Amino acid sequence: MTRLTFRRGDAVVIAAILAASIALTAAFVLSARRGAAASVEIRQNGEVLAVLPLDEDAEFTVGGAYTNVIEVRGGEVFFAESDCPGQDCVHSGAVSAAGRSLVCLPNRVEVRITADSPDENAVDGVAG
Amino acid sequence: MRTKTRDITLCAMLVALSLALSLAERMIPLEAVIPLPGVKLGLANIVTMFALYELGGRYALAVLVCRCALASLFGGGFTALAFSLAGGLLALAAMALAKRAPFLSVYGVSLCGAACHNAGQILAAMALLRSVTVAAYLPFLLLVSVGTGLLTGFAASCTFRALAAVPRRERGDREC
Repeated sequence: MTRLTFRRGDAVVIAAILAASIALTAAFVLSARRGAAASVEIRQNGEVLAVLPLDEDAEFTVGGAYTNVIEVRGGEVFFAESDCPGQDCVHSGAVSAAGRSLVCLPNRVEVRITADSPDENAVDGVAG
Repeated sequence: MRTKTRDITLCAMLVALSLALSLAERMIPLEAVIPLPGVKLGLANIVTMFALYELGGRYALAVLVCRCALASLFGGGFTALAFSLAGGLLALAAMALAKRAPFLSVYGVSLCGAACHNAGQILAAMALLRSVTVAAYLPFLLLVSVGTGLLTGFAASCTFRALAAVPRRERGDREC
């Protein structure tokens, strides 16, 4: 009754997942604009806390459930410090291209690099 | 003959087992191999699949919810609970549907579960961050889910095969 061996239908499922993955990637790549990066947008719970220029070194601290220290340095932005349990945001590294973003999920913080048009769709890291 | 007490007891054991698996999984540094935060093997899903096949959807749901609630107590809190529930519930729904498809084996069911688990987690991330950009992360997670889905499918296949070899009497299906 229980089907235990690999069937042709299973291969179809794999193909469907791969196709969905490729289609989604294509959609995001096509929709992301690659203009000159202009500014860093820091959001918490979807609300914009700050917009910083990317070419000016700065440090920004976000409170909330946890404390994140976000640093802009040399045209890059990264989570310098965080007291969240996973530390995924700190491990995500730095981003510099428009459309890229970094996330600290426990603190509901998203750092996004926006070009002149604010509609960008690539994500570099998601933190748990 | 099966009794309700026996099923509930089995459920409790499955909750304990899946909780142990999901905690043990946190010690595996899979993120060192695949540098995507949140990537997991989904070992606890083997138990959910077993509950689904052996006891049915309602018991599988109970095992899943209990496991998620207990696992969040061991670290992660509300964020972890929201994520594992969103992923787990969507995965269970997908697996319950996939199980009915005569052209799919446990591998296909497991793959559907893994892919939908990731989709559910991305939905949770989108809701928590109120941001659509997080969805760009989904294609990578889907790629990883093919690997993890096949792995848990293989584990489930081995488990079911091994259990089928155990005489019914020793599995506790006798009258009492």
